[in-house]
Amino acid sequence: MNDDRGYVNFNEKSEVSDLKLQLRQLAGSRAPGTDDSKRDLFKKVISNMTIGIDVSSLFGEMVMCSATSDIVLKKMCYLYVGNYAKVNPDLALLTINFLQRDCKDQDPMIRGLALRSLCSLRVANLVEYLVGPLGSGLKDNNSYVRTVAVIGVLKLYHISATTCIDADFPETLKHLMLNDQDTQVVANCLSALQEIWTLESTTSEEAARERENLHSKPYVYYFLNRIKEFSEWAQCLVMELVAKYIPSDNSEIFDIMNLLEDRLQHANGAVVLATTKVFLHLTLSMADVHQQVYERIKAPLLTQVSSGSPEQSYAILSHLHLLVMRAPYIFSSDYKHFYCQYNEPSYVKKLKLEMLTAVANESNTYEIVTELCEYAANVDIPIARESIRAVGKIALQQYDVNAIVDRLLQFLEMEKDYVTSEALVLVKDLLRKYPQWSQDCIAVVGNISSNNVQEPKAKAALIWMLGEYSQDMHDAPYVLESLVENWDEEHSAEVRLHLLTAVMKCFFKRPPETQKALGAALAAGLADFHQDVHDRALFYYRLLQYNVSVAESVVNPPKQAVSVFADTQSSEVKDRIFDEFNSLSVVYQKPSYMFTDKEHRGTLEFSDELGNLSINAETGDSVVPAQRVEENDKDLLLSTTEKDDVRDPGSNGSAYNAPSYNGSVPSATSQPLADLAFSSTGATGQAPAPGLAIDDLLGLDFSVGTATTPSPPPLTLNPKAVLDPGTFQQKWRQLPISLSEEYSLSPLGIASLVTPNALLRHMQSHSIQCIASGGQSPNFKFFFFAQKAEEASIYLVECIINTSSAKSQIKIKADDQSSSQAFSTLFQSALSKFGLP
Amino acid sequence: MPVAASAVYFLNLRGDVLINRLYRDDVGGNMVDAFRTHIMQTKELGTCPVKQIGGCSFFYMRISNVYIVIVVSTNANVACAFKFVVEAVALFKSYFGGAFDEDAIRNNFVLIYELLDEIMDFGYPQNLSPEILKLYITQEGVRSPFSSKASERPVPNATLQVTGAVGWRREGLVYKKNEVFLDIVESVNLLMSSKGVVLRCDVTGKILMKCFLSGMPDLKLGLNDKIGLEKESQLKSRPTKSGKTIELDDVTFHQCVNLTRFNSEKTVSFVPPDGEFELMKYRITEGVNLPFKVLPTIKELGRTRMEVNVKVKSVFGAKMFALGVVIKIPVPKQTAKTSFTVTSGRAKYNAAIDCLVWKIRKFPGQTEPTLSAEIELISTMTEKKSWTRPPIQMEFQVPMFTASGLRVRFLKVWEKSGYNTVEWVRYITKAGSYEIRC
Repeated sequence: MNDDRGYVNFNEKSEVSDLKLQLRQLAGSRAPGTDDSKRDLFKKVISNMTIGIDVSSLFGEMVMCSATSDIVLKKMCYLYVGNYAKVNPDLALLTINFLQRDCKDQDPMIRGLALRSLCSLRVANLVEYLVGPLGSGLKDNNSYVRTVAVIGVLKLYHISATTCIDADFPETLKHLMLNDQDTQVVANCLSALQEIWTLESTTSEEAARERENLHSKPYVYYFLNRIKEFSEWAQCLVMELVAKYIPSDNSEIFDIMNLLEDRLQHANGAVVLATTKVFLHLTLSMADVHQQVYERIKAPLLTQVSSGSPEQSYAILSHLHLLVMRAPYIFSSDYKHFYCQYNEPSYVKKLKLEMLTAVANESNTYEIVTELCEYAANVDIPIARESIRAVGKIALQQYDVNAIVDRLLQFLEMEKDYVTSEALVLVKDLLRKYPQWSQDCIAVVGNISSNNVQEPKAKAALIWMLGEYSQDMHDAPYVLESLVENWDEEHSAEVRLHLLTAVMKCFFKRPPETQKALGAALAAGLADFHQDVHDRALFYYRLLQYNVSVAESVVNPPKQAVSVFADTQSSEVKDRIFDEFNSLSVVYQKPSYMFTDKEHRGTLEFSDELGNLSINAETGDSVVPAQRVEENDKDLLLSTTEKDDVRDPGSNGSAYNAPSYNGSVPSATSQPLADLAFSSTGATGQAPAPGLAIDDLLGLDFSVGTATTPSPPPLTLNPKAVLDPGTFQQKWRQLPISLSEEYSLSPLGIASLVTPNALLRHMQSHSIQCIASGGQSPNFKFFFFAQKAEEASIYLVECIINTSSAKSQIKIKADDQSSSQAFSTLFQSALSKFGLP
Repeated sequence: MPVAASAVYFLNLRGDVLINRLYRDDVGGNMVDAFRTHIMQTKELGTCPVKQIGGCSFFYMRISNVYIVIVVSTNANVACAFKFVVEAVALFKSYFGGAFDEDAIRNNFVLIYELLDEIMDFGYPQNLSPEILKLYITQEGVRSPFSSKASERPVPNATLQVTGAVGWRREGLVYKKNEVFLDIVESVNLLMSSKGVVLRCDVTGKILMKCFLSGMPDLKLGLNDKIGLEKESQLKSRPTKSGKTIELDDVTFHQCVNLTRFNSEKTVSFVPPDGEFELMKYRITEGVNLPFKVLPTIKELGRTRMEVNVKVKSVFGAKMFALGVVIKIPVPKQTAKTSFTVTSGRAKYNAAIDCLVWKIRKFPGQTEPTLSAEIELISTMTEKKSWTRPPIQMEFQVPMFTASGLRVRFLKVWEKSGYNTVEWVRYITKAGSYEIRC
């Protein structure tokens, strides 16, 4: 709170000890006015507790002062005790006495409060003191005490499930639930039993059966008949239960709906939503009634949206959004309700835009698109973007797009960066569906300078159009050429990929003008550190080498217009969300398991602990088949071509035929590889000459793979080294780091890292075994070990590879420190050959 | 599970904890820190009221200068959680007698803890009705010195009647003078295009009631809405007299209204809570009487000058008048100099919100004052950055006018002792979001 921490601490401490002193003085006093001064002191204690100052040292004094008849004092004391009992289990015992006494007070208020506090202590070894008071609390003749006791049982269950079950409390709750006069008691019983039985059902058959029983006819009807007596919150609870009920016939469904229909008029939006859920779920099997339900719930939901705080509207709107997505035609005449207000928060606007998109049909498109165009000039840029996207989506789902295309083209002329960007992306998608519009669009797109488009998505779209329609755009080759010249300044891989393709397309349409740009693009692509870009460049290069006309048919085939763009969410997921109507799932737009289950919550974090790494002890046999397939897939492409490169073939052979290589793996993979290399060249009958001709034509000069690699030093390793993970960990902990270095990796090596297994196998071929690996792009981490041939001396290696910087950091630990330098050189040479065929 | 909140926090705008109530152990104690670092201190704040951090979901709402945060660890019911917060705030306000803000919370934190204990147990909402709670939480809130009315201290009640057939009303109330106040408050939402076409228009209205009635009275309210009138004319088998009938798109009622009777007999009958409450809410989209028409003309003369003319026409009765009319006319950011003339009220340029603010304290019906302004702009280097024109916004209150045309036809009070009551009715129409594009 202050810069001078020491001063503050001193102050806090003195304040706490001051309070302690004062409390002690008051503890025994019976003078009039004591309660008032106690109140002031208690308030100070509570306010300190709220802001996070530890006042647990006052526990004893607080308990001493609790002997009072003043109810406010008692409450403050209970609050304090509840907060600190868990960290002071021994002192908590002190409070049991007075709480138990208060549980027998003649004032029901005090009985209830004491019981609630008693159950909130959350100290496991005090549960025995809870059973008695809870038992009598459940039988108390005052309903307030009973409501507290019911929740108390649930609290007890969470502290000690066995105590709760042994005392047969669930049975008592069940009895109360079906017989109590007070509906709050009944509702609490329902909440408590649902929780207890759900948790118990994993181990107990009976609990599972009881939980299922809650959805059975007698229970559901019992609750439904009392629905109007329940509080609004309890009504939500009951509706949730009813929604799961499966009626035996249609007349039952109508009875329930008639009974609940007036709930749609309730002022509480949560009740309205819960009723909606019941209606929708009950009628799922009756298509026409289901439609009528939509009509019926429309008005109440729209009312809820327009009343209340923006947060409440958001909660309701999210649900309305789900319904609109399920049945857009039903809401199509209500589209004006989804118009945005200027001052609405953006989370509301965003949902409304999506709904406007969904409900657009022949009759309202004009109005909706006109309205969306207004938003495109909005001050709130994200919303402006969303609305342009919405216009595009509508265009893609409509048949008559005349007017919309004009609007989009106007956007392009608005000369605002973000508007142009979004519109470019849209025009691209539009052209994929409606190629007949190309003349109009290209005329406008041609006027846009590529320098004014910065966003990767938009730039990629523009480049795509330049490639696709290069015959209609006069200066397409030159624009592309200038883009290729600035290759290094282009940070987005997506743009570079599109650029490669566009230049190829342009080349086939206007070869003489594009030849130079194509050469430059392929050269830049091959040198690119991004793996996909590199691969695509290589692929094009080889295609061209192989046969230009085949290349044209691959790159520039006649295209069919896209009729429907893929939906991003599967219908199964949508149904699951619908099942969980009226919950967070709808707001997050994903089923609950995706955000409540641990494993779905996020990607595994990069772990530093050796034991936690994801792939453990690569012992081989069981994983081989999968690896082999991968390897084959990868190398199929590499092996057909590398013959053409001006390179020493020896290095290729040695990498795969190293004498130290052992086990069944090498013969399985290297053999088919060699076969492939030969058969493919043989079949196509391509001599190196045409490839070189292409190189000349495009002005390419390849030196890939000619980099000299250090020759291996005389150190030899045992190819059959074995080490179990336990020993590895032990050694890793014991040994000091004898060497720590950083190497650069070849781009090809990085490229091959998509499958980290490839590296493992490559290193294995150099007699360096991997024991564990893990990580995610761009950081990969490996632990290797190796053993000196004919000696027990072991080398341990930690190797971290960053694929974006193409660097690897290596830490070596060795039994024999003196030879670690030699090993390092060996390791480095093995690593540097990785990815080189 | 409707809510099962794991914790509730009240924070001020700086992120200091004002109230911290942990209901369940399934979330860590440092949830406040998570909220502060992942929401308050980022651009996330205000972008979405529901946010997932780790395995927990945070619902937050800003109310004056306080954030109320609910933390849940399960797939909770969002609508329920927000409604709970809104209701809880209403409850706190009824205890503090006025504002709900940081000061009020600091002054009443013990009371708030007391209430939080009662309205939620182990994360499940319990009783939130102020009427009932005031029976057993008698501690009076610390009122700010500015709040108008001192409370009548609720009758301390030894024999607790927490529940009963009528949960929202205590028995044995006695008033010397039996009075009922009805307030019909409507807000008009309008979105008009620059060409004067109404794009969207609706009225959300509510009927607020203040009851000071003895005993257990039964009330019956008659409005000039279509359904009610049709029903009546059927019963009396004669056509309704004169006057407009209103078609309500949708109605919601306070829990005291007997919905079964509303659905079968189409009458609004109820036993009211004591004191102030919201009886019903309704929504109307057809046949809305707009109180004002705005006719703007904005001309951009070259790059540095603009001419703005705005005419506002009041279309309600000449004997009525609107109060507190404010018209905000947006101008570009780079406005350098403004000069204007108005035929009524006062106008000035507010650079903070980039608007000409034209205020007319009392605006009679059937008049049409105008504002004409000349605006000089700083010529900027970033050329052609065209100005996105935000809409003209309007605020107003028109007493004794309803945009929907809704009227109270009768209010009958029936109590077994048969006392006489005095009924008061007021109408007012306010601007909701009243926007005219230009």
